[in-house]
Amino acid sequence: MAALATSQVLDAPLPRRRVIPGFGLTLGYTLVYLSLIVLIPLAATFLKSAELGWDRFLEVVTSPRVVASLQLSFGASFVAALVNAAAGLLVAWVLVRHDFPGRRIVDAIVDLPFALPTAVAGIALTALYAPNGWIGAWLAPLGVQVAYTPLGVVVALVFIGLPFVVRTVQPVLENLDREVEQAAATLGAQPAQIFLRVVLPVVWPALLTGFALAFARAVGEYGSVIFIAGNMPLVSEIAPLLIVTKLEQYEYAEATAIAVVMLVISFALMLAINALQGWAQRRAGGVR
Amino acid sequence: MSIRVQGIRKRFGEFVALDGVDLEIETGQLVALLGPSGCGKTTLLRVLAGLESPDAGRVDLHGRDATQLPVQARNVGFVFQHYALFRHMSVFDNVAFGLTVRPRRTRPARTQIRARVEELLSLVQLDWAADRLPAQLSGGQRQRVALARALAIEPAVLLLDEPFGALDTQVRQELRRWLRRLHDALHFTSVFVTHDQQEALEVADSVVVMNRGRIEQRGAPADVYDRPASPFVHRFVGTSHVLPAERTADRVRIGPIDAGLVPGPDGPLEARVRPHDLALARDGEGWPARVGAVRVLGPLVQVELTIDGVPGGPRIAELSREQYEATPWRTGDAVRLSLKRWALYDRAEAA
Amino acid sequence: MSAVASDAVAPLEPAAPGEKDAPPQAARGGPGRRRRSAAPVMLVTLALAWLGVALVLPLVAVFAQAFAKGWDAYAAALTDPMALHAIRLTLTVAAIAVPLNLVFGVVAAWCVTKYDFPGKSALITLIDLPFAVSPVISGLVYVLLFGAQGWLGPWLLDRDVQIIFAVPGIVLATVFVTFPFVARELIPLMQAQGRDEEETALSLGASGWQTFRRVTLPNIRLGLLYGVLLCNARAMGEFGAVAVVSGHIRGLTNTMPLHVEILYNEYNATAAFAVASLLAMLALVTLVARSWLEARAPELRGERAAQS
Repeated sequence: MAALATSQVLDAPLPRRRVIPGFGLTLGYTLVYLSLIVLIPLAATFLKSAELGWDRFLEVVTSPRVVASLQLSFGASFVAALVNAAAGLLVAWVLVRHDFPGRRIVDAIVDLPFALPTAVAGIALTALYAPNGWIGAWLAPLGVQVAYTPLGVVVALVFIGLPFVVRTVQPVLENLDREVEQAAATLGAQPAQIFLRVVLPVVWPALLTGFALAFARAVGEYGSVIFIAGNMPLVSEIAPLLIVTKLEQYEYAEATAIAVVMLVISFALMLAINALQGWAQRRAGGVR
Repeated sequence: MSIRVQGIRKRFGEFVALDGVDLEIETGQLVALLGPSGCGKTTLLRVLAGLESPDAGRVDLHGRDATQLPVQARNVGFVFQHYALFRHMSVFDNVAFGLTVRPRRTRPARTQIRARVEELLSLVQLDWAADRLPAQLSGGQRQRVALARALAIEPAVLLLDEPFGALDTQVRQELRRWLRRLHDALHFTSVFVTHDQQEALEVADSVVVMNRGRIEQRGAPADVYDRPASPFVHRFVGTSHVLPAERTADRVRIGPIDAGLVPGPDGPLEARVRPHDLALARDGEGWPARVGAVRVLGPLVQVELTIDGVPGGPRIAELSREQYEATPWRTGDAVRLSLKRWALYDRAEAA
Repeated sequence: MSAVASDAVAPLEPAAPGEKDAPPQAARGGPGRRRRSAAPVMLVTLALAWLGVALVLPLVAVFAQAFAKGWDAYAAALTDPMALHAIRLTLTVAAIAVPLNLVFGVVAAWCVTKYDFPGKSALITLIDLPFAVSPVISGLVYVLLFGAQGWLGPWLLDRDVQIIFAVPGIVLATVFVTFPFVARELIPLMQAQGRDEEETALSLGASGWQTFRRVTLPNIRLGLLYGVLLCNARAMGEFGAVAVVSGHIRGLTNTMPLHVEILYNEYNATAAFAVASLLAMLALVTLVARSWLEARAPELRGERAAQS
């Protein structure tokens, strides 16, 4: 009888206790701060756009000027990310596989776009690519105008997105087993074949992740673009700038509608990138 | 009684790590928790330390209910498998940590702390390394720092998780004999986790064999080896050969061998034998078998045997060099195989 | 236990440093030298040329333009009262925003790495959220909340509290934009370091706070510095978010990047580039400091791709 009672007591579930103290405090603080700074303001934006009503919302986001700006933002970002994918892979390869004087400095300078304020990048690129600038003066005789055209937008977005691909591909290349390439070579593969059939498949998930990161960053970019773009409605006006313009005209609801479209796409991109990074990590055999 | 554990259960999601564990450990014992990975031995150790809170059950330390006691208040020394040395602190500061975090009222004076740490460092023979960082030490040295650090708080019990797992064979052997000597000199209660049966049998006063979250057997090393309570234990603590057996009217026969009266229901049984408990003869009672490969391994000789009419791969008999030299078996010889010692288990239990 | 009898225990091994199981050296070889042939030289040249045109040239242009009219014009542009005010405001905003996100980053990283709880990975994703938001929208959300037309605008107006077109708005927008930096740096670092050291400290009798201050904090020191560095660079350089909430009131709500824009739009390029050159130097200092930190703590590398 007594034994039975004991076993009943022992089988009663015990309160859960965490070993390291401070769970409630830190989780509470994290959630409150996150809500105040990020979640509530973002939620307010979605609520504000609901004030507009569905029909008006559609009308705003399908107006020619908005559509043109979204097309430019996403189109130019896509092109810029493509350029960065190609150039970034080359830079990462050279940084990992080749030793040359000043390699450490070059490695550090790749992060310049992360550290340089976007407004500074914007005016510097404009000065370079203006028809009388150092590069613009070379291109003008060829009939190529960069500044104040959609091409200028691409140039700015290439600048700010440059580090992403390099920094995602670089660690994968560093962990790549050289012997696998050497094995391919002993089997008679030419350098191009080795690259395409041995190296690229390994690097591919990271490359795609870097591309997506550069793309996502470019879509929302503002500071570096507005100086060089010329900002002609329907031609070289990006979506973030249109939001600012609408705000300055006190058209809050319209600005919010455009913002909501961009937010939804950005969040979708972010989830896609998360999934991509998970995939890349599994493919890399959980190196990190 | 140093440690008393009753009805401990712990699950992680779907995985049942501890499925009702009861255990008592007397003061001054050196106890090994032995089992394959995933058997719950490390979880049990962490429950003892208060690093894991059980879903159900009760833990008493020195006669006091410690189930709800946080790890800080349990006064247990815990040595992690990978030592968990504070990498930014010198060896000295690592060992002194537990003393310096005490509230001012109970904290020893600076000079006392210094003396105590120096004493411990010389005990683990690392007095020369006081100012080094953990990264500058070898694996065996780090292990000893972790031990000194755990001992500094004068723990009621010392808990070690795979204490020798991360070391190479030679350091490992030295260190475990040294730990045994240290234990004998200082008389603390220690529990250590290991998956290495040899380590458990060599070092511990008492071995607790665990499997699937339960304790299979508890006993002195020789008991566990010679009288395994279950087929699992038989298999886990040494090499184990299975032979079919049968019981009719309380009399057990292992093939042609009469194993005597063992009361129980009629039916098939399984006998388990250690390689050194197999005996070979030219003729007489026993299983007819044929000699396969013969390997001379220093003081020991292994003889492979194929038993006529018994399925399963060849059984290996281990003979001493003297036995072998007295009767040198050759490949192809026909022999009679008998058993010096065996253990019987129900078939169902063996599944 | 108190009477430690060291001589009762026979010696284990000669107490000499440098045993055979010495700690492994970092076994990561540098890039191996290959035999020189035309292709590698071409690849390196191509990569360097690209970086030269795409990255170095814009940087050089900033300084060239800043000094185009000589040292005096440069100095005059920087000592202009409006410029000085912008510098002061930028420093003030960073001095508020960075510590806020520093504390948050440490607390959040502690929370998600030292405990297991349902919804943890969702929380980590939410912490990253501001990185996915366009800077302009980061400013917009506060305008919608606190602006004259916003949810709380009228209520604030009645109480004479100005957030939008004022310093609090600039601080808020900056906090939003730099929100994840410290946490992002610390989470993978603390994840890799595990919980063993904290658990050991607790088993030795340390309190939660002692464990954090004496065990966790020293271990994450460099990572923390790294995160703060990036957070600070972004806080001082943020343009889009701040542009939306500032209202461009000169001498009042103009930060350095906004001041650069105003000067540039007034066709005062030299002055604009002069102020820009200060920001460019901040960027260079950040890069140098980051390289130095990475040299000291190689584990900080590799996580940085997703930043900014």
